[in-house]
Amino acid sequence: MKIFSLISAIVVGLALIYGTMDMPEWGDPQSPASTHVSPYYLEHSLEHAATPNVVTTVLADYRGYDTLGETTVIFTAGVAVVLLLRNRRKRREENHE
Amino acid sequence: MNDFLLGHYNYWMFIGLMMIGFYAMMAKKNLIKKIIGMNIFQSAIILFYISTAAKRGGVSVPILEHATGGHGAHGIDVTHYANPLPHVLMLTAIVVMVATLGVAVAVTLLIYKRYNTLEEDEILKKIRKGKLPPKELIEV
Repeated sequence: MKIFSLISAIVVGLALIYGTMDMPEWGDPQSPASTHVSPYYLEHSLEHAATPNVVTTVLADYRGYDTLGETTVIFTAGVAVVLLLRNRRKRREENHE
Repeated sequence: MNDFLLGHYNYWMFIGLMMIGFYAMMAKKNLIKKIIGMNIFQSAIILFYISTAAKRGGVSVPILEHATGGHGAHGIDVTHYANPLPHVLMLTAIVVMVATLGVAVAVTLLIYKRYNTLEEDEILKKIRKGKLPPKELIEV
């Protein structure tokens, strides 16, 4: 079984390395990730939000709904953990009666 | 060829790290080790995204220097600041990572209480034998 896992990990790794052949070079200022929307954020965040930290501006202003969804994720995980760990306690109390 | 290697070796590092986590998730029998593998996997993805934010040549963190001067957007040179977008997206990814870790550890705790072991093959053996304590007798 372990040999299958090793083989599939190597195959997936090689496929991903093949995928990096078209990637831009590390630190390229003209890479697609750095030329599409991020210049807009860097240029306009000061006049739109008056905050020097651009990461904060994008997180809380431009992508505020994303952050709202993020809190929903944390809330859901918290509720799931509480429900998973609470049922047992109830059962124990019933047993002691 | 040398330039190509220097420009892409960071991706290969992260792919190696990711495959270590992937192998741990598939091959390890211990459930805690599987969770550790999942965390290594997610960390590799986060490092990959952060590496796409880097720019060559005297680039600083995306905190604007002219903020106190009151000049607005005039003096901002985009190539002087790292790309802020991957940083923001990875903040969200870290939150998701913590949420999945919490739920996974809670489920693992319940599995340990019911089967008294974290080894996957022993759990499967106990399920096949059908010799399990009734749910009501499990102590916290």
